[in-house]
Amino acid sequence: MRRSIAYPLVALGALGSTLVGAAPALAHGYVSAPPSRQALCASGAVANCGQIQFEPQSVEGPKGLRSCDGGVAGFSVLSDESRNWPAKAVGSTVTFTWVMTARHRTSNWEYFIGDKKVATVDGGNAQPDAVVTHNIDLSAFPGKQKVLAVWNIGDTVNAFYSCIDLNVGGSSGGSGGTTPTTAPTTKAPTTAPTTSAPTTAPTTTAPTRTSAPAVPIGESGAAWAPGVAYRTGDKVTYEGKTYQCRQSHSAIRSWEPSIYTLALWLPL
Amino acid sequence: MKYRYATVLMAGALLLGACGTAKEAPVTEVAAAQAAVQAEGGHNDTDVMYLQMMVAHHEQGLEMVRLAEERAGRPEIRTLAKAIDVTQADEVELMTGWLKQWSAPTEVDHAPSAHADHGGLPATGDEEIAALKKAKGAAFETAFLNLFVAHQHNAVEMAQLVTTKGSNAETRAFADRVKASRADQIKQMLQLMNG
Repeated sequence: MRRSIAYPLVALGALGSTLVGAAPALAHGYVSAPPSRQALCASGAVANCGQIQFEPQSVEGPKGLRSCDGGVAGFSVLSDESRNWPAKAVGSTVTFTWVMTARHRTSNWEYFIGDKKVATVDGGNAQPDAVVTHNIDLSAFPGKQKVLAVWNIGDTVNAFYSCIDLNVGGSSGGSGGTTPTTAPTTKAPTTAPTTSAPTTAPTTTAPTRTSAPAVPIGESGAAWAPGVAYRTGDKVTYEGKTYQCRQSHSAIRSWEPSIYTLALWLPL
Repeated sequence: MKYRYATVLMAGALLLGACGTAKEAPVTEVAAAQAAVQAEGGHNDTDVMYLQMMVAHHEQGLEMVRLAEERAGRPEIRTLAKAIDVTQADEVELMTGWLKQWSAPTEVDHAPSAHADHGGLPATGDEEIAALKKAKGAAFETAFLNLFVAHQHNAVEMAQLVTTKGSNAETRAFADRVKASRADQIKQMLQLMNG
């Protein structure tokens, strides 16, 4: 059954880069760790972010911007300082990890704090890997900082933007520290929602979890619900039928008991 | 693999039994289970290409999660990997079944030009999977989570292709499920990465 399918990656990438010139690329890249603002939206640590939570890799704009949202109106939440973005406690040298979903030829990566350029990493106009890491010395910038990380594409006029809120020197680990800093220093508190804030409650920006995700444990016989951690043997009801869990998992959308999830749920 | 597929088919037969359409269905009734998820109706080239690309993408994903099942230190990561393993393995069976039903090849066309126009290019490199195989301890977890987040983002991007240009209802519904499940998996993995 198992087939080994070798993607012709180099060739694909070469063509991919010509494709970029012809049409807007599909997507792209963002800083996953320490978590960028779009990563905090995608992980649910910051709620009510709008569409960016589903495409954190899409913050693309012309080169030379100094904004967290890449000038994309639909992503303006990323520039909303009133959202009280949690700052990750990190050591003085920080390992930034980029997740790339399209491996564009790369001019360079730049890191800014305020208007000051902190580091430039040459991309050699080559294709990056799907995951790229940079170790950046931030020892000259202790305390709470907003880092703007920019991925400058080699063969388009565009760049991808990620803002990462950090508490530099707050812990020894590069990205292993877990202390969420709560009180923002000088930023305005979360009173007045901006016009760009999405629908519901814009004030619920505080991260809801601390270190370990507080996942509800499945209660045998209860109705199936997303977010619940089910263990093998647990029973649930769903649309009037009873099912037994065959493989432990945390329930997510589209993993409800059905003909398509027989690997997870056995109909009883 | 073979064995697990058989158990799924058995479960399918049981499901049919629960519906009252096939009481006491013999566990060997392979066709009955498959019939429940056939991709009836019309389809177009985008549907075919999408499924072919996704079969290949899934198998690459299975290779990664099976490493994580063995190597990840944290039980939450191993559990997630195992759940992705069993669901994606079934999805591969589902997709290859549809392609066979349409008399289309189940293997992706290796010519890069075949897919370049559609933007659905895989991002995970064989060399990165090779590096993952060598990683150990916390470095393995970090490498796996980031690589797999990128991989599942690609799955969502490819699903977008078929939900806009595909014509087969079952394939489009499958792509919608892929979008939802992968977005939620990415959510979990970003939590695990930064928790």
